[in-house]
Amino acid sequence: MPAVRASNLYKVFGKRAPKAVELLSDGRHRDEIRELDVTAAVIDVSFEVEPGEIFVVMGLSGSGKSTLIRMLNGLLPPTAGSVEVDGTNISALPKRALRTLRGEKISMVFQHFALFPHRTVLENAAYGLEVRGVPRAERHERARHALGLVGLEGWEDKVPQQLSGGMQQRVGLARALTADTDIILMDEAFSALDPLIRRDMQTQLLQLQAELGKTIIFITHDLNEAMRLGDRICVLRDGRVAQIGTAEEILSQPANDYVAQFTEDVDRTRVFTASSVMEPPIPVIDPGHGPRAALRTMRENQTVTAFVVHRDRRLVGVVREEAIGEAVRTGVKDLEGLVVADVERVHPDTAVADLFQQAALSPYPLAVVDDDERLVGVIPRVTLLAALAPGASEDEQAPEGADDLVAAAAPNGAARSEGADGSEGGQR
Amino acid sequence: MGAPVLTHSVEVPRIPVGQWFESTINWLRANLGFVFDLIGEVIGASVDFLSVLLTAPSATFLTLIAAAVVTKGLLEGRGRRATAVLWGAFLLLYLAELLFGAAAAVIGSMPAPLFVWAMELFGAEYVYPPLVLALLLLTALAVAVFATKAPRRQRYTAIGAVAALLAVLTLHFVVGVQIDLITLLLLAALAWVVSGWRLALFSVLGFLLIVSMDKWQDAMSSLALILVATVVAVVVAVPIGVLAAYSNKLSGVLKPVLDFMQTLPAFVYLIPAIFFFGIGQVPGVIATVIFAMPPGVRLTELGIRQVDKELVEAGEAFGAPDLQILRQIQLPLALTTIMAGINQVIMLSLSMVVIAGMVGAGGLGNVVYSGIARSDMPLGFEGGIAVVVLAIYLDRLTGAVTRYSPALRAQKAQAG
Repeated sequence: MPAVRASNLYKVFGKRAPKAVELLSDGRHRDEIRELDVTAAVIDVSFEVEPGEIFVVMGLSGSGKSTLIRMLNGLLPPTAGSVEVDGTNISALPKRALRTLRGEKISMVFQHFALFPHRTVLENAAYGLEVRGVPRAERHERARHALGLVGLEGWEDKVPQQLSGGMQQRVGLARALTADTDIILMDEAFSALDPLIRRDMQTQLLQLQAELGKTIIFITHDLNEAMRLGDRICVLRDGRVAQIGTAEEILSQPANDYVAQFTEDVDRTRVFTASSVMEPPIPVIDPGHGPRAALRTMRENQTVTAFVVHRDRRLVGVVREEAIGEAVRTGVKDLEGLVVADVERVHPDTAVADLFQQAALSPYPLAVVDDDERLVGVIPRVTLLAALAPGASEDEQAPEGADDLVAAAAPNGAARSEGADGSEGGQR
Repeated sequence: MGAPVLTHSVEVPRIPVGQWFESTINWLRANLGFVFDLIGEVIGASVDFLSVLLTAPSATFLTLIAAAVVTKGLLEGRGRRATAVLWGAFLLLYLAELLFGAAAAVIGSMPAPLFVWAMELFGAEYVYPPLVLALLLLTALAVAVFATKAPRRQRYTAIGAVAALLAVLTLHFVVGVQIDLITLLLLAALAWVVSGWRLALFSVLGFLLIVSMDKWQDAMSSLALILVATVVAVVVAVPIGVLAAYSNKLSGVLKPVLDFMQTLPAFVYLIPAIFFFGIGQVPGVIATVIFAMPPGVRLTELGIRQVDKELVEAGEAFGAPDLQILRQIQLPLALTTIMAGINQVIMLSLSMVVIAGMVGAGGLGNVVYSGIARSDMPLGFEGGIAVVVLAIYLDRLTGAVTRYSPALRAQKAQAG
């Protein structure tokens, strides 16, 4: 059962909202119904959030994301559609039951922290439990624990004003954690913080999530933040869902031009991993073959380097055409001795950003090997560079042996243009 | 040029607004008279009580005030239940005493030497039960402060309250200093605690001036009237302000009504006030309330509306009911603004003192009014000066309370 399910949610402000919903559900854009004098904030939004997932809703200001999140905990009633939390349709709940559900299942972290200035940090953190009527000693105990989790021991008796922005938002987070709900809504929670602190907070949130396994619905206008945090991302545009998918899906297969444009500025080297940019290792040479067979394979594939792998695809090393040619001429019968074992190996989950240094130091393509040392792919430098180009990640997996040749032989500048050509060609 | 000749005068019908008003008042008086009588009784009794407290307090009252100070400390920390039990026992015994003289019997059964010193102190021939009860309560509360692990600040407060009480009782009943000067010192002490030494110094000098002008009784009777009017105005204004903050419709309806209340010349509603409540302090209070209430409503509404929407949302998001949000979030955060409103209410009440004097409310208003009536310049001026001293004292006192922001208050509470 999904933790949260939104089905065909609409939120339209204005007197003629029902009429507007009717028109919008026929696919009209919200600008087309301006004469109804309504504001359509959220239009036909559906998604499911699985327990333990970080689901990021991303959109620019005015895209309806804040309205959407407020419907998820019933602060705003939807105009049409329904929200289910743990299988309960909250739109149908009476006010009192809704309050109880909020207290027990969904807590919230706010953009501007929304800490109570007239309460100490500890009392702020304990607020959710106070509302639920938990005795003072117990709620303070649990609030202390949550403050410890976010690294605020020793600040319990201060008031929020005495804390920096980052610390205040930690209190906000601790308040949500103390309430001990399974679901946490975070409304632009880190947007008011400066970039360095924002990064810290993101890291901390990911750690906490790994530790506590909460379901987090996170709202942001910052795509990099969305990519970093989100297991899945929902891109909103003008109140409608533009695309829902993982960070990689959104970058590599943007649903439309809007999403593609949006993702242009993303640091894709942090999103893509070695496995998403690597190419199939062609050709590979069996260590049992002789140099003559190896040379023929390489010539057939027009490549100057080839990886040597066992039958079970365990990586042995790499051979160069020159060395093989030399061996053939001098009559060496065995590949052993020609294989360079000292080849750079990377894990499939390594971020592309972390590959550059290794690629620069190695004269050969990077070998992508899994946990059992099996070769699963290769990354020539040209591929690495091509991965930086927007919208190119899928296409540029196509290059054939020729690219390897270029990668090994040509200087970087040439390789880049070649890579670009390859992606435009759209082979595969 | 002569007056223009109106050849085409348009007939504008005379609307009998005044008559309508009068008949409404008559109807109200005839049908809801008992309500007004009740209000009048309560207000009259309150003003009388406060005047007596300010001009000639009994030892029992002073003791009860000291007990209340100690209680306030106890209520903030632990020991709420004990405090409630003590006050409950006191009230029960007090009622029993009123009804059956039970307290006297209880006291009579106790060893006499316990009370002998106290009675000698007041030069009383017999044991006065309410006073003894109050003293017992105070002692018990003081013991409670030291028995529970109360913060140090509360202990100092308790010691201070008891010491001050003993000092006052000794000064007045043993040494024989007149109560005016003692009240003066207490008011100055209040100023010191709330605001600082400057205001304390000013109030000592200013009030001494009033005493030397022989206007103390009048000043205190006016103060009592102002305090009662303020309390009534606040009790009415704050809930209305809160409702107005919630509802735009009500807010829209209220605005002209408040303007009406503030701009209608005060003399105009003195007439129906007299009609309802007769001559005396009560119509004075009523007129003052009507005139002084609007800023209380307006600033309460403003204060509640100004509270950060995200904070209210935070309350809702954690499942707090509306009333709890009002009590725990909106009111505390709006308090600074509401206090500014109360400050305005007090100031406006002061400006009504003279007009209230016209309907026989007594006090400084009466002094000024008779100064006018008799063309007695010195008398009028002295009354006016006394009003100014009172005004400055009250303004600075409430202003000092206003200055504490919610965060400051939390910090202060934490430091204690």
